[in-house]
Amino acid sequence: MSDKSAGTAKLYKETLIAGLWRENPVFRLLLGMCPTLAVTAAVKPAVTMGCCVIFVLLCSNIVVSLMRNLLKPHLRILMFTLTIATFVTIADLFLKAFVPGMSEALGPYVPLIIVNCIIICRAEACASKNTLGISIIDALGMGAGFTLTLCVLAGVREILSTGAVWEVAILPAGFVPWAAMRMPVGAFITLGLLLALVNALTKKKT
Amino acid sequence: MLKIKHFIEQSWLLIVSAFCFGLLIAVTNAAWSPMIEQNRIEKLNDLMGGLLTKAERFEPEAELEIESAKGKKVKTSVYKAVSEQDGCVGWAFIATGAGFADKIELVVAVDKDFGSFAGFAVLASNETPGFGDRIKLPSWRSQFVGAPAGKLTLSKTGDIEKIDSEIVAISGATVSSEAVVKTINNSAEQVKRQMQEKGLIGDVR
Repeated sequence: MSDKSAGTAKLYKETLIAGLWRENPVFRLLLGMCPTLAVTAAVKPAVTMGCCVIFVLLCSNIVVSLMRNLLKPHLRILMFTLTIATFVTIADLFLKAFVPGMSEALGPYVPLIIVNCIIICRAEACASKNTLGISIIDALGMGAGFTLTLCVLAGVREILSTGAVWEVAILPAGFVPWAAMRMPVGAFITLGLLLALVNALTKKKT
Repeated sequence: MLKIKHFIEQSWLLIVSAFCFGLLIAVTNAAWSPMIEQNRIEKLNDLMGGLLTKAERFEPEAELEIESAKGKKVKTSVYKAVSEQDGCVGWAFIATGAGFADKIELVVAVDKDFGSFAGFAVLASNETPGFGDRIKLPSWRSQFVGAPAGKLTLSKTGDIEKIDSEIVAISGATVSSEAVVKTINNSAEQVKRQMQEKGLIGDVR
């Protein structure tokens, strides 16, 4: 009995770490590139986007995991999309009602979480095949991994484009803002360099 | 009969969950939509208050239908700026037009006779950061304050301090500057005409 629970705990831990590093959705799986590039001009919108994704991922993984035995193979994608769309709409309404400024800053990228492939990938690859516990841990791990990656990217871009992080100035006043970092070109360059860095780091280990 | 049974067997989960999720969204929307509407009104009042500083409150006065530059009809609201002391102190309306990257929504304010502009503010835009989004800067917007409420023209050089119908474009953001001027011109002309027809303002030409 204790063996079994120890095994489950180990599995939970591995699932959590997989999302954060080994199978990090952005750096390792290259999923969800659209929000990664679009909302990382500053840390605040990146964190908001990350929280929305965690919420949607968690809810959709729970629902999909609960109904996994009832799913008909040819209708499963339809069910996933329906589930995801519901929770994204709720998240969107929440932002509009309680943080309207942030909702405006994120623009269409919140509704676009519906087509974010991280969520449908986790529903297909994990939640539709695993128990509720594993699905929840997987959602939290993947969501946290996505959010952290977004924050790193947004942190680099915000420092270079405004000299501040979380709108708090940290670089000396003489710093010349690098406006290109706020634009799509900055997103592509930063993401490319970070991917190269992560690849270099993982190569050494193996 | 067999066909119907097969159909229900295959799709009952989809039908049931579509119904449940629909209900969930309806409940959420019912709970939060008053707050969303309130947020919108607050933002609008805030912007209009910044333009017409004498006004104490804004009352929705008329719903007008104006034609956009592309010939599409768009509904817009005209707000009356009211102060306890002076009565009507001006008007504000929402103008929509195409920007450089996305549509631009502006709040345009005019004085009570629709004789001159009291300024404009950006309600929603998606212009390029560092270039087109400088249309939001007060230093650029200040040249609209007091400009005659007729046709505005855009020039690339000139004195930004001089208040007249000539608007000096932002260097590096000519398209965005032009979009603002065009949007204001298009809406102001039609709103003015329709307000005169409705008798809200005198025939001042």
